[in-house]
Amino acid sequence: MTRYIGTSVRSKEAPRHVTGRGRYVDDLTLPRLLHACILRSPYAHARIVRVDLTRAAEHAGVKAVITPADVQQLSRPFKPGRYAAGLRVPIPEYASAVDKVRYVGEPVAMVAADTRGRAEDAVELIDVEYDALPAVVTTAEAAAPSAPPLYEALGSNVAWQGHVAYGDVDAAFARADRIVRENLKIHRYSSTPLEPFACLAQATADGMTIWCNSQSPDVIYEALAEALGLERVRVIVPDVGGGFGQKIHLIRKYAVLTALMAVRTGRPVKWIEDRSEHMMAGGHSCEQEFDVEAAVKSDGEVLALKIRDTDDVGGSVSTLTIHFTNKLNNLFNTYKVQHLRLEGRSVLTNKCPVVPNRGIGKPGMCFVWERTMDRVAQELGLDPIEVRRRNLVAKDQFPYTTPNGNIHGSGDYQALLDKVLANVGYDEVRRRQQEQRRGGASRGPHRARLRDGVQDPPSGRLLGIGVVIGVEPGGRNAARDMAIFPQSKQVLGAGGVEGATVKIEKNGAVVFTLGSPSCGQSHETTAAQIVADVLGVSPGRVSLAGTFDTALSPWGVSSANSGNNFHLYDVGAVHGAATRLREKVLTLAAHLLEADRESLQIDDGIVYGGRASRAGGDGVASRPADSSTAESMSFAELGTIAYSNQALLPPGLEPGLEATYYHSHPHADPLMLPDAQGRVRAQYTFSSAAHAAVVDVDVDTGRVRVVRYAIVSDNGTLINPSVVDGQIYGSAAHGISVALGEGFVYGADGQLLTLTLLDYGKSTTLETPRIEVEHYPIPDPFTTLGQKAAGEGAAIPSPAAIASAVEDALAPFGVKVRHLPLSPERVWELINGVGGHFSRTLTGTNGSVL
Amino acid sequence: MTKHPIRLRVNGEAVDGEVEARTLLVHFLREQLGLTGTHVGCVVGECGACSVLVDGALVKSCLMLAVQADGCAVTTIEGLSTSATSGTPGPPGTLHPVQEAFINRFALQCGFCTPGFVMAAHALLTRNPDPTDEQIRQELSSNLCMCTGYVQIVEAVKEAAARLRGKDAAR
Repeated sequence: MTRYIGTSVRSKEAPRHVTGRGRYVDDLTLPRLLHACILRSPYAHARIVRVDLTRAAEHAGVKAVITPADVQQLSRPFKPGRYAAGLRVPIPEYASAVDKVRYVGEPVAMVAADTRGRAEDAVELIDVEYDALPAVVTTAEAAAPSAPPLYEALGSNVAWQGHVAYGDVDAAFARADRIVRENLKIHRYSSTPLEPFACLAQATADGMTIWCNSQSPDVIYEALAEALGLERVRVIVPDVGGGFGQKIHLIRKYAVLTALMAVRTGRPVKWIEDRSEHMMAGGHSCEQEFDVEAAVKSDGEVLALKIRDTDDVGGSVSTLTIHFTNKLNNLFNTYKVQHLRLEGRSVLTNKCPVVPNRGIGKPGMCFVWERTMDRVAQELGLDPIEVRRRNLVAKDQFPYTTPNGNIHGSGDYQALLDKVLANVGYDEVRRRQQEQRRGGASRGPHRARLRDGVQDPPSGRLLGIGVVIGVEPGGRNAARDMAIFPQSKQVLGAGGVEGATVKIEKNGAVVFTLGSPSCGQSHETTAAQIVADVLGVSPGRVSLAGTFDTALSPWGVSSANSGNNFHLYDVGAVHGAATRLREKVLTLAAHLLEADRESLQIDDGIVYGGRASRAGGDGVASRPADSSTAESMSFAELGTIAYSNQALLPPGLEPGLEATYYHSHPHADPLMLPDAQGRVRAQYTFSSAAHAAVVDVDVDTGRVRVVRYAIVSDNGTLINPSVVDGQIYGSAAHGISVALGEGFVYGADGQLLTLTLLDYGKSTTLETPRIEVEHYPIPDPFTTLGQKAAGEGAAIPSPAAIASAVEDALAPFGVKVRHLPLSPERVWELINGVGGHFSRTLTGTNGSVL
Repeated sequence: MTKHPIRLRVNGEAVDGEVEARTLLVHFLREQLGLTGTHVGCVVGECGACSVLVDGALVKSCLMLAVQADGCAVTTIEGLSTSATSGTPGPPGTLHPVQEAFINRFALQCGFCTPGFVMAAHALLTRNPDPTDEQIRQELSSNLCMCTGYVQIVEAVKEAAARLRGKDAAR
């Protein structure tokens, strides 16, 4: 019965947050707590010559300082993990810099003091002598043979090169009527969660307990065990103030440093990152450059794509290939193209390391496809939407297997386009645009750049529309990387495993435990709806037992707020546990009611026998006091017996009313592991969406205003539509902000120039449009409830949508949008055909003046 | 470092404290008073997660020293439901209409920015009981949210305005 699944059941998380009763790591304290602060590298590239603690150690309140030498002596380096697949020389990486610093902000030392203020004072008193080295900031500089290497052991900053290929690319190119070529770039940005990294570590008699706002507690669990040789590690994740991928990987360094400090001082230690620390060292998404060649027929059919991808991975080898491997997840986007070659190159630079970030390489891959579709249309003189339609996977092809092995369970891509065009009023926008381009008077220095016959709009404004389409993959399969790196023998994370526990308490209340933490995606609300429907109880009586805790939560490899996992693994696990518990409830009730088990029904927490009439939903069972003649029993009555009265239990039934279920995706095969052709299920579900952006470009200032933003989205069965709306709004807003100028900017010396959210250019309520969403759900045939992912989704196509719309607006100038971001400065340069439009470092951010 | 005595009212209660001159109001509220609903997202006045009311005015408490709040009346998120009623502490669950609307409209995800947005929305509706969408967006540009894309926040503020006006009309 789905009484609650599919409805916007009231949020279970919201009441505590609107009253200030959320509990984040920084809200917690312990007796004798110390506060830690980190000294970070002021250089982009330097050798550490000497660290002198004399002045810092003498500062009032200072209890301990951890230096690079201490880190080397007291901890073990991380092994290159799966994010570093393809690393040709195993390079150990410690929690802090030990010999060299490779980016501004790299941690060098940690101080613990009795107050945060004193710890900060003492950090300024640590004297470090550096031998500054030349910094390489762009991939072109870094890849040059003469460039100073970040890692001498690698010999070159081109730390990895490789490729994947599917189909017969050369034959397809030989058949082509035309080859369309383009160079595309997407810049460095991040999701800047409002709560920065936070750790609170306490050494215990036989191990370590750490409260940490990690999205992937298994990363922290493994890191502490590996780096500190601890056998007993307990990771507790309280409320987390946003993640988006930022809190998956680099946070492990700080967990280790904080834990090391707790061991050294014998006292609990709290470390809270500040905003500028997060901007310089919390991790960035990868700047990616693509050289694209598309083999096309004259009618717009795309036969094949060849892509050369250069990824600027920053100053660490630990995430060497994630932005490449994640492109396997949406390698063919929504298109039926059969032939594709993707070459990759990961280049180390003296910038912040890259990390997983809302879609990882997928926004880049979607950008490649959608910019290419527009370019194909332009070169062939076709309509860009028609070119997309010609290449879309058709409705009757589902379930559709992409050439690289992904299985798109269900979808109707044409319908998404139809609906988004209708919703945005496409024809009307085009009509207004034509009107605008016809009228007008000449003005401004850009006048000479207008194509013949085009009038400068009188308002100084240009309207543009961009329509794109994309998939949102969900449910991680870490065995994906073996497709590229068959030499890696480990199958860590193949398929997925995730647990949940559901319990009816003695008083009839229903509580559950999930295997993964939430970073704001309403796990409790959504899971409670599922439990409520399966058990036959109102969601108001269902609640989360507690926050994620490795000692108490049923967790597995998929227990992460990552990989768009929740919809697949957590939903499957909590549904499985509730189903198992329902079976037990029915067994117990059938025995007590002396009824046929099959005739029982559950409604609002009351089990009714075949003869019973309904109690009317008031939660009170209609039964006489003598249970032997009862016709119904409440969960509270069953709970009391299950936990307290062995004599009434049926023979052989285990007491208690609790069930745990570990979910593994029953449809993980075929292609859970790569086959000989390198085909592998990179992810398991594929939501899809069409986006239409209408922009208004100010010709004089280059400022882009998004006047309409419409999305039609297929996220499969919706469990809580308002929650899914929120995920779509938020991810779209992020992608739009990225396209409009949010981003990191480095100086030529490797200094980060965007240390605050203002400089970084994060969009506020003023720049963010009122995003309009229509759901067009097509249930997935392979998941528990037909659900698909909803999380990183709209951040994947939105940068491409804005690029398409801005290019359309600027069509009178005949310019091409190849590179993001489209900050006012960049757009002004495009309009006026001047400036360092292709400069790779000093790129303006939204509203900032350099 | 020398300590300075301060005396203020926080959520209707008289509070005495001793702070360093450099102590920010947000740190005083969080660390000395345990009012951890006021959050630190940037500590340079850009994100608004630490927004509180000082003598009725919306203030980013990371931009104010605790000593500057000496003699002031401060309202934090924990005191909002109280101040909306008769000024006496209400039982938990007596929510301000802005809080109700934020719940109702799913106007939050991770919750970290939420107390700041609720305070900013409350301040806005005190000044302007019937703001347009544009006015709401203008006023709330003081605060940042990384999760929601602001759509449901704007809806919540409109709903709160309607609830508050309804309440006034009923009087």
